[in-house]
Amino acid sequence: MGNILNVDLSSRVIREEIIPNHVYEKYLSGMGLAAHILYERIPAGADPLGPENVIGFVSGLLTGTGSLFAGRWMVVGKSPLTGGWGEANCGGSFSPAIKRCGYDGIFFAGISEKPVYLYLKNGVEELRDASHLWGRDAVESEAMLIAETGANSRIAVIGPAGERLSLISGICNDRGRMAARSGLGAVMGAKRLKAVVLDGEKRIEVHNRAEIKRLSQICNRWVQFQPPFFAGSVTAYVGALMRILPVQMAMDGLVYKMLLKKWGTGGMNQMSVEMGDAPVKNWRGSNVDWGIRKSLSVNPDVIRKHEKVKYHCYACPLGCGGICSTKGKYGETHKPEYETVLSLGGLCMNADVDSIFHLNEILNRAGMDTISAGSTVAFAIECYEAGILTKKDTDGLELTWGNSGAIVALIEKMVRREGIGDVLADGSKVAARKIGKKAAASAMHAGGQELPMHDGRNDPGYNVHYSVEAAPGRHTVGAQMYYEMFQLWKVAKGLPRVKPLYFKSGKYVADEEKAVRAALCSKFMNIVNCAGLCLFGVFLGAKRTPAFSWLNAATGWNKTPEEYLDIGARIQTLKQAFNIKHGVDPRSFRPSDRVIGKPAQTEGANRGRTVDMEKLISDYYRQFGWNPETGRPTEESIGRLKLRGEEHGI
Amino acid sequence: MAYRITDKCNGCGACSRLCPVDAITGNKNALHVIAAERCIECGACGRICAAAAVKDPFGIFSPMVKRSLWEKPRFDKMTCMSCRICIDACPVHCLYLSEAANHIDPHGRPYMANEKACIGCGFCARECPVEAIAMTVSQS
Repeated sequence: MGNILNVDLSSRVIREEIIPNHVYEKYLSGMGLAAHILYERIPAGADPLGPENVIGFVSGLLTGTGSLFAGRWMVVGKSPLTGGWGEANCGGSFSPAIKRCGYDGIFFAGISEKPVYLYLKNGVEELRDASHLWGRDAVESEAMLIAETGANSRIAVIGPAGERLSLISGICNDRGRMAARSGLGAVMGAKRLKAVVLDGEKRIEVHNRAEIKRLSQICNRWVQFQPPFFAGSVTAYVGALMRILPVQMAMDGLVYKMLLKKWGTGGMNQMSVEMGDAPVKNWRGSNVDWGIRKSLSVNPDVIRKHEKVKYHCYACPLGCGGICSTKGKYGETHKPEYETVLSLGGLCMNADVDSIFHLNEILNRAGMDTISAGSTVAFAIECYEAGILTKKDTDGLELTWGNSGAIVALIEKMVRREGIGDVLADGSKVAARKIGKKAAASAMHAGGQELPMHDGRNDPGYNVHYSVEAAPGRHTVGAQMYYEMFQLWKVAKGLPRVKPLYFKSGKYVADEEKAVRAALCSKFMNIVNCAGLCLFGVFLGAKRTPAFSWLNAATGWNKTPEEYLDIGARIQTLKQAFNIKHGVDPRSFRPSDRVIGKPAQTEGANRGRTVDMEKLISDYYRQFGWNPETGRPTEESIGRLKLRGEEHGI
Repeated sequence: MAYRITDKCNGCGACSRLCPVDAITGNKNALHVIAAERCIECGACGRICAAAAVKDPFGIFSPMVKRSLWEKPRFDKMTCMSCRICIDACPVHCLYLSEAANHIDPHGRPYMANEKACIGCGFCARECPVEAIAMTVSQS
């Protein structure tokens, strides 16, 4: 049994609600609980930026229980970017703060008359005026709120991008960690909810803390295992080797963890470009265009040189983040993540690492998604080079590949919504519609969501998840490599195993096992998001990071991994039903043609690669018992997952 | 489950000044009351009470302990993994994360930033997943 807090911003009514046990058993907490609540509360056809939309901040089931990696919080709502299910996930210190206030989630409906923030502390629950914060950037606002409410407040806040309803805006905490995707910052902006400020001290009840500690200590031993490692420049050659060799080793999360522990996600910067995992030049180029010499500027060691101290999210023994010093007026920024570096770097052919650090801080402060911003800039550059946009349209900016000065100026314009920036501030799909002509062919997105920096032509699993998830265009759910690292077959029965060494050509055959693996990734990641665990934690493998055992120890249940995966399937189906309810065609989420290799590239790591996406998507739908053509959950699947009846009546 | 003040209370107000969650109310020289729904069972009220008027959740009177003899956390830097759980667990926020020691060990570590504020509740030690915190009486 747990509580959620419902806040109606229109009437300023704050109401606590008890969630009964059977809901937790069916949907767990976190994202599952949110899906359950949002499916019921948001009426079909609701305007994502209107009063009927509900935005929820949820913590995880394992947060605060002593489980490692359990520091993720999620923002959920109807996405203004895709028109369907919207979710964004973030680390930092906000997740335990939700639970310390005594809640598993905080849900906002309605629209406030004037800017407000919610303040919770030891029995105080109030909406306070935020007029003085409106227009200020996220870091500044956070500092002002801390000055106002005390040094121990945990704050989720939007920046100017969210206030100006940019559809690629996110929500910020811990001075620059962002729940960036799905454009949920704009939902907060539309509700005139500037921030959520939490300062509770409640204890978090755990069924068996000693058992959780025991499991955590075993897990921690794997995390701390870190043999001396090679230099950053070697990663590029490892990537090149992976590109050239016809065989591939199944990825073990322990290796990935070592990269993360030493460099953070940036450890993959050069390696990814070389092996064909990172898209270059708005998905048109390859490692040939942005070779080792050019990408050397974003070498992991170059990024790490700026690092002052490692940054750990709550409950994280790994610490992939960092606080870096940077040139320019800000002086300090969170270490730019792989996605940020590649979307503002390789995707725009920008080799100026200082500009990437600077842009990282600009975007964090503005509360804008770095992936979407980078993708949209790359789209604009391609339009400019093709003559679709002229110098007159761009307010005199010379938008050529790699022109870092123009890229910085353009992003500053996007944040302020000035001139061309206003056209681009809602992402590439909306911008292409506004620009017209043939611009749509240059917009790389899935259902409106800009795509992350993982090329589905290298690992087709990414393309599957970009297309089939209820929140499309996600790299954090599954891929063939993710399935290898999750090692689910070690804890659950009857799941396909991965050979330790295999021929790469097998990756590009669209057989049914690919769909089985993809479906398992989706189910498992739903559980992970319900538990509030971090993707990088579960990369270690299901045995080393004992998510299912932690869940049992925290709740006192005795569920098997298979039962948990069934819950994952239920949540996936519910999210899909959410999209159907809101009139979103799941088939429309297929990424742009270029991304799925139509036409196939003629040079570089991914040359000649096209995978039959239609078959993979249909097979995936079949795994959940959905209609393989339309993606709609069938009567049979709804009945099997017990989604019919008094709760949802799908 | 919560701590409870019995009628031995002389209303000195020491507990309500110390309570980290403002759960204790009462007028000066009058019986004080703990709001059970707010109490986090840190036990500070029991340790500070000169009249030994506070009962713990099991109904046992908490003895007064001289504040200099309260147990304080001591961190084992070798076991600590910088996960910040202890910092979040502390109800009086007396723990902070240090700067990185050097380039070889770039992780910040928790340290006692405000020893006077510590109420000796031991939540940090209880929540630490790797048992890197020991509660000991300060030698000084």
